[in-house]
Amino acid sequence: MRVKAENLTKVYRLGSSLITAVDDVNLEVNEGALVAVVGRSGSGKSTLLNLIGLNDNPTSGNVFVDDVNVSSLSGRERRRMRLHRMGFVFQTFNLLPTLSAVENVELPMALANAPRKEQREKAVRLLETIGLGGRLSHRPKELSMGEMQRVAIARALANDPEVIIADEPTGELDSKTAEETVSLLSDINRKDRKTVIVATHDEKIVKLMDIVYTIQDGKLRLES
Amino acid sequence: MRYTTVIKEMNVLFSGQIMVVSNDSIVIQAFPIYGGRLAQNHTENILQNIAGVEETVPMVFISPLGFEDLLNLVPVNFTMGIPVEHWRLILGPTPLKNNAGHFPSNETSNEVVVGPSVADQYNWTVGTKIVVRGRELEVTGILDTKLALLNRCVFMPLTIAQELFNYRGSTNLITVKPAQGYSQKNLADTIESQIPSVKALTEDERNDMIQPILAQVETWNIGIQTVIFLMSLILVMTVTIMSVSERRRDFATLDAIGAPLTYVFRVVIFETSLIGVLGGILGILFGSLVALVLASLYTNIPLAMFFPTFYEIIPPFYMFEIFLAVVFVCCLGGIIPAINATRMRIAEVLRAEY
Repeated sequence: MRVKAENLTKVYRLGSSLITAVDDVNLEVNEGALVAVVGRSGSGKSTLLNLIGLNDNPTSGNVFVDDVNVSSLSGRERRRMRLHRMGFVFQTFNLLPTLSAVENVELPMALANAPRKEQREKAVRLLETIGLGGRLSHRPKELSMGEMQRVAIARALANDPEVIIADEPTGELDSKTAEETVSLLSDINRKDRKTVIVATHDEKIVKLMDIVYTIQDGKLRLES
Repeated sequence: MRYTTVIKEMNVLFSGQIMVVSNDSIVIQAFPIYGGRLAQNHTENILQNIAGVEETVPMVFISPLGFEDLLNLVPVNFTMGIPVEHWRLILGPTPLKNNAGHFPSNETSNEVVVGPSVADQYNWTVGTKIVVRGRELEVTGILDTKLALLNRCVFMPLTIAQELFNYRGSTNLITVKPAQGYSQKNLADTIESQIPSVKALTEDERNDMIQPILAQVETWNIGIQTVIFLMSLILVMTVTIMSVSERRRDFATLDAIGAPLTYVFRVVIFETSLIGVLGGILGILFGSLVALVLASLYTNIPLAMFFPTFYEIIPPFYMFEIFLAVVFVCCLGGIIPAINATRMRIAEVLRAEY
């Protein structure tokens, strides 16, 4: 999946003032790329990822997925694209607390109406692959931070998406777990040829990335 | 509900009869609940000489009801004095419970038959001696009936009732059976013209008289039900809005991973429906139990005695209706929170949190 942002701007209102979170951003991510968007907290990287991930509407500009302008898609079509073609990993994991690890991973497949048996088999396989085969029936509160993030990554992979969008995936993790998580994302990129876009301010992660963009006050610049 | 049921039943009991009462009495349906006496022989003599009167039956109806008692929770007992040869006029084919005992045998026998609810309340059985206004009477039978009025009545011979309640030579109610071919309305008009001190109430007039009261009670019922409905709706809605608000990250996550809006909507409605189902079942069980306990406390009838007739006191159809109403209110109360849940967006939720 090739993702392109063209003159992307996002302005939102905070109280009485207008905040330009993303300011005329142009970005192109080719299929199979491993991309980092680096910036300090509040620099606009999460907003940019939400725009690219079709979770938010730009104030102006367009997002293209495989040359299709997705900014003009209906909410239903955008949700369908998120469900089938994109996987999301959040800083705070955003696992559903009432579901077990395996059920959390099954959820996107259930939403995509995959057969029940297939859901379970694939969810188990994904969790075993990332080393959580023994934690299938544990609920999020019974897992460590690193385990929760790995479950979140497994969930992101559930519908075999073409792109993984990870917003500060190591933000809540200690350095060792953070390294393992980044290594996992890197493996997914290399082995499965999935596009991975990571927002981070962690310099250690940046070193592992193929392409690095920096963002400051909403303005994006290609770093390497 | 209790009073409307009693009132509606009253006319069934005297179907086809004209009820003659004193002008100054207050009448609900067929029964003079307050004031008004008729000189028995004098009135009956005049009535029997009116063309179209086939039969007259004098009665005494004793009601402790004043208007202030209408809101009383404690069941009220009525006493009726009826000539022994006319039991069937009011009781129709009503049998005695377990076919045990008999109706009072003659006008001067100190015998009564009682409604089952009264019998349960005071733990009376056939053969029990009771004292009414200083006179010992024997319970010779217990009616086997479900009618509310008959349930709460003590029936005794007219003469005994007249003696006990100071109605010697007088009565407060005379039923008139029209002869075949005579209309109730014309006969009632004739009675009133010949005896100016009485009201002769036809079945239609009695129904008309009671309509405003029934309408008022119905209005109150509808009002109370509406208030309860709205309060429940607001309560369910508030609780669900809070619950959705607390889980906005979860709903936003569902949206982020591509859950269809209908899925999110269904999740919330399913939750509120489940609350309705569980709340309905528990509410009906708990509410029924509380109602029975209160009834037991007010009437002194042992709680255990209510259980055999539980489904008659609270019919399954009512329970089902209440259950459906609760589930409906919960589903309805879930709609706005469900719409809110579908509007949760991860970008906005995360932006608000950081």
